[in-house]
Order: sequence, then structure tokens, then C-alpha cells
Amino acid sequence: MVKNYDAIVIGAGNGGLVASARLAKEGKKTLLIERHNLPGGFATSFVRGRFEFEASLHELCGVGSITGKSPLQKIFKEVGAADKIEWVALDEAFRVITLDEKNKCDYVMPLGKEKFIAKLEEYDKGSAAVVTKIFDIIESIEKTLDFVSDIEDFKPSMIKEIFSEHTDFLKIANYSVDEVLKSLGASQVTRDIINAYWCYLGQPTDELNVIHYFTMLHAYIIDGAVIPKGRSHQISTALLEAFTENGGEAWFNTAVKKINIENGAVTGVTLEDGTVVNAKAVVCNASPYNAYTKLIDEKVIPEKLKKEVNAKTLGAKGFAVFLGLNRSAEEIGLNNHTYFIYPDNDNRKCYELSKKIETNDVQATVCLNKAIEDCSPEGTSILYMTSIFAGDEWSNVSVKDYYKTKQAFAEKMIDNFEKATGIAIKDYIEEIEIATPMTYARYTDAPAGTIYGYEATKEDGIVKRIVFDMIDKGIPGLYFAGGYTTRHMGYSPSYTTGDMAAKNAILGMEKEVK
Amino acid sequence: MSKKKFSVNGGFKDAVNTVKFLTERKQFINSAEATLPTRTDDFGVNKVAKSIHPKEQSLVITKIEEHKDIAKSYYFKSEVAPLAYFKAGQYLTFKLTIGSAVVTRSYSIASSPLGALNGEYQITVKRINDGFVSDYILDNWKVGDKVIAYAPEGNMIYSKLRDAQNIVAIAGGSGITPFLSLARAIDEGEEDCSLTLLYGCRTSEEILFKSELDSLSEKNEKIKVVYVLSHSEEEGYEKGFVGADIIKKYAPTENYSIFVCGPGGLYKFLETELPKLNKEKKYIRFEVFSSGKKAEENAEEYNITVIDRGNETVIKASSNETVLCAFERAGIVVPARCHTGECGFCRSKLVSGKVYIPEGEDKRRMADVQFGFIHPCCSFPESDLVVRIN
Repeated sequence: MVKNYDAIVIGAGNGGLVASARLAKEGKKTLLIERHNLPGGFATSFVRGRFEFEASLHELCGVGSITGKSPLQKIFKEVGAADKIEWVALDEAFRVITLDEKNKCDYVMPLGKEKFIAKLEEYDKGSAAVVTKIFDIIESIEKTLDFVSDIEDFKPSMIKEIFSEHTDFLKIANYSVDEVLKSLGASQVTRDIINAYWCYLGQPTDELNVIHYFTMLHAYIIDGAVIPKGRSHQISTALLEAFTENGGEAWFNTAVKKINIENGAVTGVTLEDGTVVNAKAVVCNASPYNAYTKLIDEKVIPEKLKKEVNAKTLGAKGFAVFLGLNRSAEEIGLNNHTYFIYPDNDNRKCYELSKKIETNDVQATVCLNKAIEDCSPEGTSILYMTSIFAGDEWSNVSVKDYYKTKQAFAEKMIDNFEKATGIAIKDYIEEIEIATPMTYARYTDAPAGTIYGYEATKEDGIVKRIVFDMIDKGIPGLYFAGGYTTRHMGYSPSYTTGDMAAKNAILGMEKEVK
Repeated sequence: MSKKKFSVNGGFKDAVNTVKFLTERKQFINSAEATLPTRTDDFGVNKVAKSIHPKEQSLVITKIEEHKDIAKSYYFKSEVAPLAYFKAGQYLTFKLTIGSAVVTRSYSIASSPLGALNGEYQITVKRINDGFVSDYILDNWKVGDKVIAYAPEGNMIYSKLRDAQNIVAIAGGSGITPFLSLARAIDEGEEDCSLTLLYGCRTSEEILFKSELDSLSEKNEKIKVVYVLSHSEEEGYEKGFVGADIIKKYAPTENYSIFVCGPGGLYKFLETELPKLNKEKKYIRFEVFSSGKKAEENAEEYNITVIDRGNETVIKASSNETVLCAFERAGIVVPARCHTGECGFCRSKLVSGKVYIPEGEDKRRMADVQFGFIHPCCSFPESDLVVRIN
């Protein structure tokens, strides 16, 4: 059986959903193929007892609740999904606590630039000047990125403009967060607070690219963060609905076996049941890691791409504990939405410790009721804790030890939470679900249970990825979307790269026609 | 503002640092070997994930044990891969082709988790009135037959972080199997809870696994078994139904969780009994399996247009059977597991038409309700339907 489409999208994760919605909106006959029975990939939810748990989203940037700067909302509107999603704005940025007694810190920070600077001044007298400076640079970087992304036709005069108007960007483009913050004279307390989001990217700030991090700070602190009322499953399903409304066809419970390549270019895919589907463009929301090690015949992969896949490092592996508590957030004393709990205020040390199950004490924990008060029945609350692992120690856990290891680590996370916050939660657990790297591997085929795409190392940070992506082209007709691509991982970057992949696929099809 | 004065290491060094990234990146890629890294399927994590959650398991029946004429136990080995490990209390969903129908039915695993690692599963099937699939299994399965089961699933498992350390298990009839598994797991050191098993049967004749349960409780102080007979008075047995009084009589003095598995009548009875114990909801857990039927005198006939990967098929349905039943009868395969609306595997899009979802069985996600997705296993047609299954 052979079928023909303009474009095939492999995987209904965040990148694949936006890519397919965009392709259908632009009138392309598009087939979206997903191996699981649900859209969303990690962006989903599940029900246990009387609770509906969010599977992965902590807070979404790119739908600016404060400044209204909403690149994601723009995409959702254009593809017809925006009016299907209800957003709830957050007002708190985070509470960051370290477990280390010697350098114990515990700070609660608000969203909004002015509020953030003022609160930091309370914790760190005299910091306002430096912090204001940091935000000046964050805003100047954002201006440069807006300038670059608004370029439709490149003119040589623009180079002149970049060199005269966008010097901050040029100066810091290849520095780490630490290098820039130290040069600005930021104190330890200021850095502990500013760097608190590091676990959202999984890279220690001594190598994390400063532009990458500052862009994220802009999106969260200045523009404001939101959460969808119906969990991330609402976003995923809204995008799928928009896609089918625009004539797209989605096949679930269907796995791609091969991406077909002839004469160096994509011709379509072969499904596990042998069905061949032809298309000139394939948007791949399966990771490039899986594409190159599973879906593409090794013989047709160019040397350079093999080197690239080999050079990169798989990012953080996920672990999460989902708790349905039989008391309200108020009764328990859960006053914050986002808790970052670290073993140490040195995030390099945290990262190194996160390579071992025994020593990993990193967690980002969310009390969903602090954003959506009625997200669970009256008198109950939802708390979910996420940890990230560098390295691949979970690959050493045997089948026999699996349940014990999983439970022991979940218990440690709960203990750490209680210790850090002084809030007792153990007696109130009515429902518990635990996700390990194996769980992420099970549902999404993630290599080693990776949830963070490729590590944003010094050599593979996003500025380098973006620049080199313009120069290095992969296999013609194959476009990658999602957390392993140029914008690094996360909801907002995955939606964005999904849109970019679709637009590039459309450009590719148009070239083909000419 | 900042742009004139600001520099990290001085203007010149900053410029050099920025230019460096071109060479850094090139070197990063070029110094790597032109071979592919570890295949995704070869990571330990992916192997364990696949081992615990295989897509399907091809099983061979190795032994059939008759429990008088009440029930039969079936023992399985795996045809190829090792059997999937599980937690005591979980069930296996079998996929059977019966005539032109393709049905799935779930049976709690009676053997222990360690048993699976040693290559064996056991389930026990009881003869029940109008048990279409159970009767088929009892009448047809033979030693040497190959059958298909999905990976173990289910949430009626002991969780140290959620449950009290003492479990009071209430079993009715063949609902004993998940607790037999739990008792075996405790005895083998796989689970660290204590178990008080209140096992309700009509007569002592109908008690399944009595000698094994007796010997487990004899040799392991963490396991206690009480038999409760509803239809006969016999010495050494409690008389009546497992209700609040029996629970109070045998439950430990410390805090305990109640797990229930049995026929519908047991749940009905417990609905009025358990509230007498004043226990928080978190300490009470039910395992529910459903036949997908509802009592209805004059059932209406409807058509369901089923869309599967763009192909449409029209099938017959009845208002007293779930949409999933209609699929199964017509041989349409959806990845159903629990049959109670809980697991969500059969989630499908209701493109048009109306369905009835019994109160308390609607366990859909909020957005699924918003966008018209249903769980066919607990949705009854109330009009002609168009349903997209894949």
C-alpha cells in the first residue's frame, strides 16, 4: 500500500504538533504520525483517582502575561489553536532553597522586572545597580534577537547596523553566564538568585551560554509566565484539533520504521506494518538521535552528520514524582508555586552530583494549586517534583532493582522537600505516580530517558547551533523539530522549532516546484 | 546606556572571544569519529523500559490447573523475550480472537513478581454467568496454545509512600488472585507490607488456593488469612459478608489501607459498609473490572462509523453495550486495557453523535472532555456515532 502526501510529520510532540498545524494551515496535504495513542509527547496529563496530573510543564514562557510579548500565542493564533486554550498567569517566579547548611539560602522571587529587582535588593542590599545593569543587557540582547528574527531580506547595510547597535550581543555571544555576571560584579547572593533557573536548562552556568540564559530570563521574568488551565494536554489537543480542522490527517498508535532516502534526499517513510507513505518533505519530531540511530539507513547518512550526532552529548534524563494530596495547599502550608531545591548553591557541583542516583538532590517542584486554585477537588492539592540526571546511571539499574530504586529516589525527593521547606507532606499522599528515565523512554522512545535534548555545552550552546544550522544543511527534505534542535529543549523552543521546520519545509517544497 | 561602557574582559578580548566560537564549533564536530553513537534501543534505560512495558507478549500455556469445577489456573511462559516484571496486584490484558470478534480482557496476575523473573505467570479464570470471554478461555485454552498479552498494568499495588504499611485486603471469589500475588511477594521478600486477607466466598468449597494461603499465613507472620462464608455456616470460618464488623474484628490496631477486588455485588455492599470505618479516601482502593454491559430492557440499535487511519467502516452497536464492545464484536482492534475508563489507552475521538457515560466512570482528562474525546470502554451509544480510533 502506497500513499502520497505533501509532507509527513513524525511524532506529535510539541514540535511535531506545531509543524503539522502550520503545514495544514498553509494548505499542505499533511500526515502526522504518532506511535503513542496521545498527542503531546511529554506535553500531556494523566488521571489518578480524583486528580489530573500535569506530566511535565512547570510554567510556560512565550505567552507573555506581563508585557504581552507572545511569540507563541502568535503561532497558536496563526494555526488556529489559540482560542482553544485557556491561560492562567503566574505572579511568582520561584522560591529557591539550598539544602547545604553552610551556605543555606531561601529566597522567594516575583515575576516582573521591577518587582524582581526590588525584591533582590531586599535580600542583597546594594544589588539594585548591578541587577539593573544585568536587566539592561538582557533587554539589549532581546532587541538584537528581535532585530535578527525580523530580517526577511538580508541587506549588507544590516551588518553595519549590527556592529553599531548590537554590540552587547557581539561582545557576550560566546561567554558563559558566570563570566558575564562576575565581570559585572554580581555578588554571590545575586548570582544565587539570578542563576536559580539553571535546572530548567540543565547546564551549569560556568559553561551555559549567557545569551541562551538571558533570553530565558527575559521570557520568564520580564515577559511573564503562564500555565494552561487544562494542563499541557489542553495545548497538545488544541493543536491537534487545529491541525485536523485545517484538513490534516493524524494517525495514532502508528510507528514509523524507516525514513526513506533515495539519491541523498527524503522520499517518505515506511511504517512498521510495511505501509509506504511518500512525501517530499518529512518534518521529524523524533529526535535526530533516534532518526540517525534507528530510522535512517546508516549507509545513507553523510560522514559529517555522523560526526555531529557523535559529538553531541545527550542532555538531562528525567525523574518525576506526582502527588495528589488530601489536604488543601493552605492547610499543608504550600505557599509557593515553584520550588527550586538544590544540594548546593554552586550549580556546577549540583550538576556533577546529579550524575549519580545516590548523590542527586536537585529538584524543581510545583504546587499547581498556587497557579490554578481549583485544579484538584476542594480540600486537596497537587504537588509534582521533577529531578534531572546528568550522565546515564539509570542504564545500570536492572529490571529486578527497578521498582526499589524508583521508590527510594522518590522518597528521597519527598524527604528533601520536607527538609528544605519544613512542610510535612508524607501523611497526605492520596495518589502517587513516579516517572523515571524508563518511563520517558517507554512513552516517547527517548534515548536513555533524555528529556532535555542535547546538552547545551560550551561547544553546543544555542548561539553556535543557530549560526551553524544556517551553514550546515542535513539531508535534503528532512527537517528536525523539537528539543534536540537549534533552540535547545523546553516547551517554547520546541513549539518555535516546529514552526521553523514547517516553514523551511514549505520553502523547500516551493524550491522544488521552481 | 550600557552598550558603550560594558565589556566582559575588555573590548578586544571580547571580540576575539566571539570570533573564536567559529573555530570552537568546527573543531567540536570535526574531532568526533564518523560513527554513530549507542543505538537508542541499546541503552540500559531503553532495554528496561521495553522489558517492563513490552508492546505485546507472546505467551505459551504450560500448565492448566483445575480448581474443582469453579475455576482454572493457567500458567504461561514467554515464547521469546523474558516475561515482563510487575508489581503484585497488577493485571494482564489478553487479546483474543473469538470468531470474527477481537476482544481484550484483563485478569489479575496470581503468581508473584519474582515468578515472572523466573519465567512464569499464573492467572485464574472463574466460570461466571454470561462471561463471554472467561467461558471461551475455560472451554478452549489448552496446554501448548499461544496467546497474546499486553504488558502488566494496574494501580492496586502497595506503595510504601502512599499506603499504610498494613494492608487489609478484601477479596471476593476469583478476586483473590491479586492478593495471592501480594502474599507470595511478601513471603519472597519483594514487598515489605503486612497483609490481612479477608476472603469472602459462598461456601468453603469455593475457596481458591486454600492450602497455599494457609501455609503462607502459617510460615509468615506478616500474612493473615480469614475466610468469610456467606452461604454456609462451618466451623473455623466467619459467617456472613466482609463488612465493617469483620474488618474491625481482624484489622490491626495500627493504621491500615483497604484494598478490594471482587465481583460487583461486593462493591455495592462495601459502599455502605466502608463509610462506617471513617477512613480517609486515601486508605481505600478498589480494583474494578467491567463487562461493558448495562441492564436495559429495550436496547436501541445504532451504527458506528469507525475511522482508522483514514479508512471508514460502519459497524452495528447497541445502547446496552459499550462502544468498545461494539468494536470488539466487529473485530476492530483498539489498544484497550482496563475496560473501566481508567487507563485511557482506548481514548478515541467522538467526531459526531452522543454517548452516555455512567456516573463515576468518567475518568477522562479535562481537555479530552473539552475536545470530545471518549473512552469507548465506558461510553454507551445514544445515537449513531462517528468515532476516530487512530
